[in-house]
Amino acid sequence: MARRKAPNRPALDTRPDAPSVDDVRAQGAAAVATQFLRELFSLRRQEWGNPWGYVFIAPAIILYLVFQAWPILRGLYMAFSDYRWMVPATHGLAGFNGLDNWVEMVQDKTFWRSFGIAVRFSLMVMPITLILSLGTAVLISQVRNHFAAGFYRVIAYLPVILPISVAMLVWAKLFDFRFGYLNVILQGVGIDNPPNWLGSSKTALYAMVMPTVWARFGSWTMLFLIGIYTINREVYEAARVDGANGWRQFLHITIPLLKPVFVLVLVLGSGVVSATEESMILFGGTTGGPAEAALTTGVYLYRIAFIHGDMRMGYAAAMSLFLGLVNMAITIVIFKALRTEAA
Amino acid sequence: MPPLSRRLRRSLRPGNIAVNLALVAIVAVCLLPIVWTVSASLKDRNELYLATPTLLPRNPTFANYTWMFAQSDMSRLPLNMWNSIKVTVGAVIIQSVVATMAGFAFARLRFRGRDLLFYMLILMMFVPRAGGLMALYELMDFLNLRNSHLGLMLLFPSAISVALFVMRQNFLGVPRELEEAAIIDGANTWHVFWKVDAPMVRGGIAVVAIWEFIYVWGEYLITLTMIDFPELETLSLAVTKLQGWGAHFTSSILAGYGVESAAYVTAMVPVILVFIFLQRWFVQGLSEGIIKL
Repeated sequence: MARRKAPNRPALDTRPDAPSVDDVRAQGAAAVATQFLRELFSLRRQEWGNPWGYVFIAPAIILYLVFQAWPILRGLYMAFSDYRWMVPATHGLAGFNGLDNWVEMVQDKTFWRSFGIAVRFSLMVMPITLILSLGTAVLISQVRNHFAAGFYRVIAYLPVILPISVAMLVWAKLFDFRFGYLNVILQGVGIDNPPNWLGSSKTALYAMVMPTVWARFGSWTMLFLIGIYTINREVYEAARVDGANGWRQFLHITIPLLKPVFVLVLVLGSGVVSATEESMILFGGTTGGPAEAALTTGVYLYRIAFIHGDMRMGYAAAMSLFLGLVNMAITIVIFKALRTEAA
Repeated sequence: MPPLSRRLRRSLRPGNIAVNLALVAIVAVCLLPIVWTVSASLKDRNELYLATPTLLPRNPTFANYTWMFAQSDMSRLPLNMWNSIKVTVGAVIIQSVVATMAGFAFARLRFRGRDLLFYMLILMMFVPRAGGLMALYELMDFLNLRNSHLGLMLLFPSAISVALFVMRQNFLGVPRELEEAAIIDGANTWHVFWKVDAPMVRGGIAVVAIWEFIYVWGEYLITLTMIDFPELETLSLAVTKLQGWGAHFTSSILAGYGVESAAYVTAMVPVILVFIFLQRWFVQGLSEGIIKL
């Protein structure tokens, strides 16, 4: 290996850099796995190099292994065990019960109802957020005045940085049946019997959509904006010379060139299915709102794991794993559908 | 720059006006809940419970805030705020230090297994976190770190991947000539890190610290799971429990709305201030790929 070595010199890295995160994302998880295995098999042939390296990474790696990696592995095992917090006999490795959790899950009506609610919720939140954020990004990109554009960006992003609890609760105040402002507006435009947003099982889930979109669309707007800003102005100039109007430019330039951002946004957003925090904050704990109309799977499994009776963490972990697998499947489909087309 | 008259004319074109009108509408929707809450926190009881409430207070008063901040048996909020500050500052410091050191090693030092660990960190991001929360509960209980602020201070910074990538990217941007010059002058690894490279990546550290601040200040679900006692709760958790005790502990049920709003405002002010005054670092963080991950 061509590296200068001097006894009292630290072995600084002079080889080409390892791939950046962007490269990794472009290549996908399979490529990373290949690289990982290659590194693993060549491990014994590598030089020890600079021992300071281990000192520098030790705190990060220890924190990561203990508080991130271990819970992931432990959670995977838990999903196949009858782990009950209140029953010590089921702790550790003792509770293993094979696929029993999964059989129970298939028969659990509440689970399927909650999964249906979560899916319906996601199917509302995703398209609205997508359209709203893309629209906002395109509008902001049209603003020539730097100060105004900056102002719009800040305001659109503001809800994203608020604590999730506050973001939900300020909407709860707005929704308040008697003292909230939303119904004042609705009455102002002539709707005499405004809904009791959070208080009625008919509207509870819809009422949850609004704050969720509000708290999320800003970050997607930023992603789209970054994408739009990197599109070369000359492309638009050329299109304009060829007589393409604004709408056609949007359809034939902006949308296709934003494809990587679409992939990213959809992949990030497919995690919405659990919607745990939103429901728990808006409806005060794991009640799931009036008549459990907003009982998403995330809330249901939280209730099973931490609130109800024995604290059945094993069963909850199985449901959580199910959600994770669904999200993974969605991610893979999105990747496959949008990526091959782009290539 | 074109002359003012032409700029004015251009900005008054119908297309431009439509764009700005649409954006103003979006801004209004974005701000409405915040404005309503701020306004409610400044209203007195009579105004809060009008049959047709007004958007802005007619006689602004700070009574709700005074009530909230007066430490008493009824209001634990000052304590909750102190808890929030403690946990957030602790987590930010730990994350910044740990990520900076590791980012340096991953970018600049060569040692056996470095890339293996790096790829492991990336791979773990693809693994679904089944039952992560349940497993964390067990782990924290085992370590005696439940109901402990120290536990939260260690737990939050452990989600280190993004911070680590940002720092690594920053260290990769430091010119190697600087380090080589320092090494020729006899600097060892620690000196290179501390005296040469670390001062060059202040921007990256700011990015990491600010994002961690926003995350920890607003964290809800993990804190809820790890903290059982009201006096240990952070502000963003405590505000979700006001509706109950506001109604219970005040002589009149009607004290709730205004005080709750005041608490929400107090919980969001720090992040809004950080966001507005440190915007520059946000933009840098965005373009360096924090939300890309």
